[in-house]
Amino acid sequence: MSDWSKVTRPIPVPNEWTRPFWAAAKRESLELQRCQSCGHFQHPPFATCTQCISIDLKFEPVRGVGTIYAYTIMYHTGDKRFASAVPYASIVVELDDAPGALMAGNLLGVEYTEAKVGRRVEVVFEKLNDDITLPQWRLAND
Amino acid sequence: MWENRCKVAISGVGYSKATRSADIPLAAHALEAVRGAVADSGLRMEDIDGLATYPELPATGHAEVDGISVVSVNCMMAMLKLPALTWHIQVGTTNIGGALQQATNALLAGVCKYAVVWRAMHNPSGTYQNLPGNMAAGAAQFTGPFGFGGPGQGMAVAYTRWLEKNVQTRDKMATLAVTQRKHTQHNPHAYFYGTELTREDYFASRMVAYPFCLFDCDIPVQGAVAVVLTLADRARDLKPAPAYLAGYGQRLHFETAGRIGSLSSYMEGGSSSAKLTWERSGFTPKDVDVAQIYDGFSASVIYGLESYGFCKEGEALDFIQDGRIELDGELPLNTFGGSLGTGRIHGLWHIIEGALQASGRAGSRQVKDVNVSFVGASAPIVTGTTFIFVKEPY
Repeated sequence: MSDWSKVTRPIPVPNEWTRPFWAAAKRESLELQRCQSCGHFQHPPFATCTQCISIDLKFEPVRGVGTIYAYTIMYHTGDKRFASAVPYASIVVELDDAPGALMAGNLLGVEYTEAKVGRRVEVVFEKLNDDITLPQWRLAND
Repeated sequence: MWENRCKVAISGVGYSKATRSADIPLAAHALEAVRGAVADSGLRMEDIDGLATYPELPATGHAEVDGISVVSVNCMMAMLKLPALTWHIQVGTTNIGGALQQATNALLAGVCKYAVVWRAMHNPSGTYQNLPGNMAAGAAQFTGPFGFGGPGQGMAVAYTRWLEKNVQTRDKMATLAVTQRKHTQHNPHAYFYGTELTREDYFASRMVAYPFCLFDCDIPVQGAVAVVLTLADRARDLKPAPAYLAGYGQRLHFETAGRIGSLSSYMEGGSSSAKLTWERSGFTPKDVDVAQIYDGFSASVIYGLESYGFCKEGEALDFIQDGRIELDGELPLNTFGGSLGTGRIHGLWHIIEGALQASGRAGSRQVKDVNVSFVGASAPIVTGTTFIFVKEPY
């Protein structure tokens, strides 16, 4: 299993668009930007709805369950912050509640070889510091 | 069809000697390539009146120093002091293909007569993607914390999506790497000229970011290439046979920053660019005699072949088998060796080869009876452009 204990994850810097996402994650809740005109969820946050160009966007809770849309297994140790964890699975998750809104993360708690397109995953929260908590992923039971 | 088809042509081409390490400043490489292209055309440097480039260094975490890590238009102007200079540009929304398209537009507008386009690529010492710091700001806040660093991983996720959605195996990619390395042995300007690659080498190589092994990734080098572009009437009076530009396109789709891994984005980027190129030139994929498709990471060739319309989605790795992409195959592909053979010089090498094949100047790697020569320069999603060059104006 990938050893994450010595990894130094770079800490996200929230900005005007992303602050509500990180505030929700700190409360261990997953909230994504949703268009109040057409109902479309999107991630990462953007200035306009990528479906209907509305600027009326708010963050709303979504269930933290979805499928692995894609993944890569990292072997290269060029990024020294992550070198101690190789090989590790970086995954892209498509949430059940937000089709098309792709979230990056790591697959935790299992061998990296368990990462496969279409596998069911659920969110787990990894606290980095008092301000920032990362949404991460483990295989779902369903 | 485009009313300006075949009114502009690539004439001379030039190269510097690509090296693994940055022994001499990048500006010297760019100068060598530009001088080579001008001399190949039979022109004098004083004749050059247009300059265009895309100077970006794709490596992160390194100082950007003009003349050392990039070669801007300003740097080239300062070196050459061109007495006849009337026009110049650097592009941003497309890679070097966009610079070539802007030079084409400038020639058609009559604001310059002989434009030089160059691409110079630096190989910084130390780690290429030198990802710095303890913080992840901007788009990286949603990717950096999870170990998504360089562009290779972004490409790799779309590749696993493609492989598993289409129930395919990365083993088939060995054919691309091995065939292109075979082509490389006909290109003395390529970094891997003189170094062969077997299927066994491919399968034994270390994994970088699954599904990419070492030989799926172009090797960073220090080097430059350049072309002279001019109106067709003028090109006919110059030394080399012209490669006429029959049509071009650029990608019309872009992702919101930080979104990662979407396979459909590669497809939409590529198909939007290719559609313009087919419509402007009047050709279809079936008319193409030889193709150069950007291969900085091998999977780019999949997205290119499929989104440009050479094969159906999900079929690219089967399409490249059975000798189809050999020099005497049905669709000879990356006949100069591709970026996997030349080293990381980006898409201008693909454009040069497209032009050389169209003008019958590709030497021992010349494909027989070429008229329609296709180029997909740069990865379709990011900065993609497409071109068709022809031997016979129509």
